[in-house]
Amino acid sequence: MRSVPDGAAGLLARDAIRLDAWAGGRDHAIRICGQVLVDTGAVAPAYIDAMLERERSISTYLGEGVAIPHGTSGGRDLIHRDALAVVRFPDGADWDGNPVTVCIAIAARGDGHMEILAELAQVLMDPDRARALREATEDEQVLALLTPDTETREEEEDSV
Amino acid sequence: MNGKDIRKLVIACDAGMGSSVMLAGQLRKTLKKQDVTVEHTPVDAIPGDADVVVCHTGLAARARRGAGGTPVIPFEVYLGDPAVDRLVKAIKDGGEVGA
Repeated sequence: MRSVPDGAAGLLARDAIRLDAWAGGRDHAIRICGQVLVDTGAVAPAYIDAMLERERSISTYLGEGVAIPHGTSGGRDLIHRDALAVVRFPDGADWDGNPVTVCIAIAARGDGHMEILAELAQVLMDPDRARALREATEDEQVLALLTPDTETREEEEDSV
Repeated sequence: MNGKDIRKLVIACDAGMGSSVMLAGQLRKTLKKQDVTVEHTPVDAIPGDADVVVCHTGLAARARRGAGGTPVIPFEVYLGDPAVDRLVKAIKDGGEVGA
């Protein structure tokens, strides 16, 4: 098996990547994402309620069919370890009028996932890579897209 | 205040684990060559030495209450928001911020 760089491997476990989920809407999608975090031992079940609460105050929809659901600051104590989960909804889930295909669910007390999220932002501002993320059918493709690439970092640093 | 004089940029947030972390990661990378510290803090705990505060429009009122006279730059979208782009340009090239 190909080795995966530490940053993505440490926070995004392979069993926290689900690429063929289905959700009837935003809240259902969030419950599925939260359950993946629960099942992989990252959070207590009540964290899912904190994720729903956060979404109702300010949406975590980023654009390009991607949302990053996560809990409130009050839900921080429900986190056992910092972790990410990637759940893909090939049929799309209605997110306040926007179709969401990929959710990157976050449970974090620290900033260890900052580089992965910054990389996600770069991916979403590149239409071809954003499409590749939405259409990913293999864990490897997701890990490759979200792993900060040291070779391209220099040329990307001048753009937000 | 002029963008060239900004030394500390604070992204104010509620949970502090999603969009604000993403934006902090992007801005640290973008402003790597500038002498600017980029931090993210809870909207109710904005540090007194912040030169400019960036936050989602939904948090702007709370941020303004906690920021004293520090300029607050609200953004609407998480990716490529024009207000954030203008701030980056002002920091790099100079120009009035929060006017």
